[in-house]
Amino acid sequence: MNKKYLLLLTSAIMLTVLSACGGNNANNAKNGNAEPTNTGAEATAAPTASGNGAEEIKGKIVFLTQRTDMIGKEFNDYKTRFEEKYPGVTVEFEGILDYEKNSKIRIASGKFPDVILIGPGIPNSDFPKYFAPLDDIPFSDDIRFKDLKAFEGSMYGISSGNSTVGIVYNKKAFEKAGITEVPRTLDEFYADAQKLKDAGIVPLASNFKDKWPLDAWIYDVPTMAGGVSDHQNKRADSDAPYTLDGVYGQSWSILRTMYEKGLLEKDIKSTNWEKSKKDVAQGKFGMYLLGNWVINQVIENGASTEDIGFFPFPVDNSGTAKAPLNPDWFYAVNKDGNAAAAKAFVKWMIEESGYEDFAGFIPTLKSKEPKLPQLAEFNSFNPQYIEQGPPNDTATSIQNAAQIDQGAVVQEFVLSKDPQSVLDKYNKIWAKAKKTIVK
Amino acid sequence: MLSRLPFGTQKKLIIGLFVALPLLLLLTFSYYPALELIRLSFTNWDGMSPDKEWIGLQNYKEVFSNPEIFGVFKHNIAYFVVGIVQNIAAIYFAIVLNSRLKGRYFFRLLLFLPYILNGVAVAYLFGYVFDTTEGSLNYMLGKLGLGSETSWLGTGSFVNYTLASIGFWRFMGFNMVIYLAALQSIPSDLYEAASIDGANNWQKFRFITVPNIYKIIELNLFLTVTGALEVFDLPFVLTNGGPAGASQTFVMKILDTAFQFNNYGLASAMSVVLLAGVVLVLSLQRYFLNKGRD
Repeated sequence: MNKKYLLLLTSAIMLTVLSACGGNNANNAKNGNAEPTNTGAEATAAPTASGNGAEEIKGKIVFLTQRTDMIGKEFNDYKTRFEEKYPGVTVEFEGILDYEKNSKIRIASGKFPDVILIGPGIPNSDFPKYFAPLDDIPFSDDIRFKDLKAFEGSMYGISSGNSTVGIVYNKKAFEKAGITEVPRTLDEFYADAQKLKDAGIVPLASNFKDKWPLDAWIYDVPTMAGGVSDHQNKRADSDAPYTLDGVYGQSWSILRTMYEKGLLEKDIKSTNWEKSKKDVAQGKFGMYLLGNWVINQVIENGASTEDIGFFPFPVDNSGTAKAPLNPDWFYAVNKDGNAAAAKAFVKWMIEESGYEDFAGFIPTLKSKEPKLPQLAEFNSFNPQYIEQGPPNDTATSIQNAAQIDQGAVVQEFVLSKDPQSVLDKYNKIWAKAKKTIVK
Repeated sequence: MLSRLPFGTQKKLIIGLFVALPLLLLLTFSYYPALELIRLSFTNWDGMSPDKEWIGLQNYKEVFSNPEIFGVFKHNIAYFVVGIVQNIAAIYFAIVLNSRLKGRYFFRLLLFLPYILNGVAVAYLFGYVFDTTEGSLNYMLGKLGLGSETSWLGTGSFVNYTLASIGFWRFMGFNMVIYLAALQSIPSDLYEAASIDGANNWQKFRFITVPNIYKIIELNLFLTVTGALEVFDLPFVLTNGGPAGASQTFVMKILDTAFQFNNYGLASAMSVVLLAGVVLVLSLQRYFLNKGRD
């Protein structure tokens, strides 16, 4: 009979241990500021020392990356080169898929790798709970997007690379359609698209079905149309953020016009993203409206570099080229981890790794020129760059409370017989949700 | 040491030990998370923040009052309808393949094989079949002169039936195998006696086969109903809920609520409602199927 009690006891202990795992983490996250643990003390002490010399930079750091395709390839090279420069440091790369969701869970648990990437999902006010301020990294030049991941004057995230959005096109396809010069106005754009269609080429690959390729129409085209990047934040002040004559209506109407004129894929409700890259590479599709990151992917799918071009999207008939500048993931450093070495690693990634060129990004260091020839072509049109501003938590909260998936809104807008009624419907949902958030 | 104990105690001890381990695993990994889910459904947790504010029944009110959330259930009707047809077809094939048909093992294997394939792989495969411009289905219909322009996955009015038909292809064989096993357990002398009494095939089916496999039909309907309520992988991979939300299912809605809109509290409430819904539908089904029996 003793055994029975012993068994009960062990099971009880096991269960409490298991449940304690969950509970402790929550406490850690809560009290992280108030009671620095040993590692925490080290981390806060490190920044003052790291300015003086490199001798503090040692130990092991782990970088949680979303580029699982680079593990065992480029990252091996990065590891050798970085460890050569900082002999006391060991770097490890851990790759996870579905980064946004999974990293969030790990950050919330309080135990996460030293260097992590953060996206738009974490409110800026939460940064001090998890991350170390990065203002003391001595970059050789001014960097872009200093204020985007900042809270109360400290910077917590550094952009790992930046991209812009414009028209990626196949030069061979343009040639075949008899287009000699890229369009500078919206009317010219429609006309050229028609020429492509007449030549048997699908003018613009929208990848409508997959929803996320429509992001450009939600975030970037409105930025170009309005000339300012805070349109998503401005929604927080309005009961009817989506109007036909506003930036969203203007942007989505362009897509709708393209659809009505048959200038998109034959059946936009059944598009195939992976295949579209091959089709653009082979010139069966003419253009993409996407970020410059897609250029390398099209080249990987069989296009030669000189056949792929990139120009700013002519959002209206004014003839001035405008382009948004968007950050990619931001590097952030765990405040309870090996912060000194992690900061050295972030600096090295930005300045020396060559990651930005590999990924086809516009460098974060302002003085560094992008290596990609298409970006040089893009810059030759002298576009006015509009930098993305910090997100506004209120607008995000309203959107989440309203459960508005803007990608689905665009889909509905384009497919609906009466676009105004679609906007009215979502404005109503927005206004209702706004009442619960803004009091 | 054990052998010194009396036999009864030994038996209890062994049984206890054997039962304790799976029970412990079940409690830790199934019941504890389920209870945690119910607890979360009363909070407004955003998935990140360490504090979870208790907001009572507000999430449940939201689930039932917001037509956007509850309305997606009508997309599941297609899966019910096709599920019923699927069961009828499964019984038909089971009876045919239970007879002395030449090559019946081959046909059984052929019909069962789709079930073994991974769901996501099946979804990708059918992505190529149903593609509008280059899909094999439209190609075949075009060759037959039946029109090759149908957007199978892009037409709101029947996209759910398109998706459900993939489920039919995939699960019919599985249902059939269960029916087959049931059919083989029916003693053949019943049929012989019926033949002597002059019963025809339909009468044999109606009065011998159906009553004997009744419990199995119930089981298969159970699987169909839960499957229809919880369908997720096909629309997730193939249409992503499109066009314009026409093929979004409740589980996809839950996923969006939690991971896209950061509302874990509401998503938990939706999961609990789904769970309750499944229990309710099944109780109703059991009630009606067992009415007038036993």
